[in-house]
Amino acid sequence: MRGGALPPALLCAALGFALAFAPRRMIAPCLTLMAAAALAASLTAVPTSWDDAIFFGCWLSVVAAASAVHLPGGVGRRLALGLSLNTGLWCGAVIALAGARRDLLVSLPLSLLCLPGHLLVARGRSMFLKVPASWLIAVALLAVSLQLAPTTPGYRPDHMD
Amino acid sequence: MNGTGRQVPVAALMACLAVICAAHPAVAHTGTGLPGGFASGFFHPLTGFDHLLAMVSVGLWGAFLGRPLIVALPVIFPAVMVAGAAMGMANLPLPPVEVGIAVSVLVLGLAIALAWKAPIWAACLIVGVFAIFHGYAHGKELPSAADPIGYAVGFVLCTGSLHVAGLGIGLLNARPGGATVTRGLGAGVAIAGLWLLYRALVA
Repeated sequence: MRGGALPPALLCAALGFALAFAPRRMIAPCLTLMAAAALAASLTAVPTSWDDAIFFGCWLSVVAAASAVHLPGGVGRRLALGLSLNTGLWCGAVIALAGARRDLLVSLPLSLLCLPGHLLVARGRSMFLKVPASWLIAVALLAVSLQLAPTTPGYRPDHMD
Repeated sequence: MNGTGRQVPVAALMACLAVICAAHPAVAHTGTGLPGGFASGFFHPLTGFDHLLAMVSVGLWGAFLGRPLIVALPVIFPAVMVAGAAMGMANLPLPPVEVGIAVSVLVLGLAIALAWKAPIWAACLIVGVFAIFHGYAHGKELPSAADPIGYAVGFVLCTGSLHVAGLGIGLLNARPGGATVTRGLGAGVAIAGLWLLYRALVA
């Protein structure tokens, strides 16, 4: 079970964190571009044989967007637009492949985290974004690792048993 | 109230709205019925106090060390932990994990108890090495069948929350006598680490 709203939701949250470091006037165009791209991609017929590649791209996009919070000088105009387009396309593709279209309504609002995030950055509290962004990177890298490992060893006695 | 002061409740409201809009029951307890998924992953770190103590200690030590490590340590730990988890999933050999985890609790507790102002590179190295051991142990426990991604999300979120809890305890340092309390807590963690180490080596 890896489809549904979770991967796109995490990707949208990562974009929200990244856009918090972008110029304020870019937020509305970026969110519009992302939503349009997500909607368009969700309407396309994605071959099921692309399953692994689509999820791989989605998780790597989470890493890219969440890593952008650490860029010195913030997220520039072009990068903000590029990340937004990328996020929209991968969100739509994952939902077209392994979700329902209503998952867009669940996932896309998380990109609005850029609004409170922008206020936090303006007040010099960027650590409240950088730390959760690192959690998203960790989850995405774990998901990629899981994808590359055919089976995980789970449910053996652990280090406390 | 000035303009900036008004922006904080607005920011909180917008954050709440974003999260509420995204709420979805399928995030928890999905999959095959095996004990996997978000809730299982979230509560797992709370069931073993070795991991719990180490995570809180990372945040607390970061609070002692101040900028930039107050941010760097909680950021580095999850990233390196993933590398350890990947090693665990791949069954790569690693020195005894139980000993490594016990040593992490002991060293982090001592660092807090002694208020050790480690250089940036040393603090990052220490936390990074310990993160590999914690990640390795938990990488081996990732469920195969029952929503491993939901499990991973819960697990990482709980780990990060424990870091934040440590940072929150570290706020005590700004109060009169607070540093004594937090250093005392560090001493307690170190004693627990000694016991864990004894258990790993002898018991």
